[in-house]
Amino acid sequence: MFSKVLRRIHMYLALFLTPWVLMYTASTFVMNHREWFRELYGGSTPSPVVEREMRYEASFPESASTKQMARQILASLDLDGAFNVSQRARDGAIVIQRLDPITPRRVTYDAAQAKLTIEKMPWESRAFLERMHRRRGYQQSYALDIAWASSVDFFIAAMTFWVLSGLWMWWELRATRAPGACFAVAGAVLFAFFVVAI
Amino acid sequence: MTYPHFNRRLHLYLALTLLPWFLMYAASSLAFSHDQYFQARDQAKGAPLWTTRFERSYSIDVPQSGDLRAIGARIMRDNGLAGSFGTYRQSPNQLNVYIYTFLHSTQAKYFITERKLVVEDRRFRFDHFLTGMHGRGGFEQEGILEKTWGVLVDLVWLGMILWIATGLYMWWHLPRVRAWGWLALAGGFASFTLFLWRL
Repeated sequence: MFSKVLRRIHMYLALFLTPWVLMYTASTFVMNHREWFRELYGGSTPSPVVEREMRYEASFPESASTKQMARQILASLDLDGAFNVSQRARDGAIVIQRLDPITPRRVTYDAAQAKLTIEKMPWESRAFLERMHRRRGYQQSYALDIAWASSVDFFIAAMTFWVLSGLWMWWELRATRAPGACFAVAGAVLFAFFVVAI
Repeated sequence: MTYPHFNRRLHLYLALTLLPWFLMYAASSLAFSHDQYFQARDQAKGAPLWTTRFERSYSIDVPQSGDLRAIGARIMRDNGLAGSFGTYRQSPNQLNVYIYTFLHSTQAKYFITERKLVVEDRRFRFDHFLTGMHGRGGFEQEGILEKTWGVLVDLVWLGMILWIATGLYMWWHLPRVRAWGWLALAGGFASFTLFLWRL
């Protein structure tokens, strides 16, 4: 019974997490062959293009931090979501990177000129895959970002479970014990060699 | 041997061979995902991350622009440093060569106007060891072992694709769990799409 439950969890977890596995494998391929993709696409990832420029006059609470200002600006543009923000040294403009996985945007608010510029990154599959691969952690306060970070942790837990349940299932199959041990030892020796050698 | 039998064995033996990579990617993903926690834990120790190995006068011409890799290689050769490396301009007056192996990292800082070289070693941190392995790949480094690691990274992602394919085959040949399997698969794709759409 225990073995059957283990097998079912192993399988259903894998089926549920198939999109994550596909995304991580595709992005690993892209990142492992960065030079080749650079040649294929004719250069590095494209620069952002201007989507909109507008007059924009904002009023912020007196003690508002740059982060609060950025959040207010994004909300007013209906672009609320995960972001990074910085203040440009030369003119004090607020530069917001909206971390949208499909269409990342850069929003620049120049208070002195009451001007707002929205630039978006043109779609490129290699950049999209790399963004998704690197997206993790609990730095953002948005519920969906915390949910995504939790999904990454869940994926890690699932990987560990696949290893442990896989070892259990292997051990149950007497006929595969000896050849399985050979494969496991070969993999471990190869891995250990590279840890020491490079 | 029947095809279903071969399929099961492929799924199993592939997993057993690639087990260390799979575990390493899982453990290192945890270090990436909770980097603030590991950073705070290490800072609490109060030990410096970098220690100076030596500081000496050294002179090499650094071009204003262009590929700096050859300069980095020359700095390493002249100062007895070895390993995979990357060269970048830290500031108009400073060139850094970052030299890394899985177990050890070193940086050589060359100060252009002072004509001075400072070489520092990084203290071993287990989370950095894991994340360093996770991030390593590609074929830009010259060494044969480095390129072989790149090939192994390719084998790991190909292995994952094969796990999916062989796993789907096994699931499809269990008619009693097909409906629940569809539910799990559809639930996964729906959740993933929701994230893409709303993040």
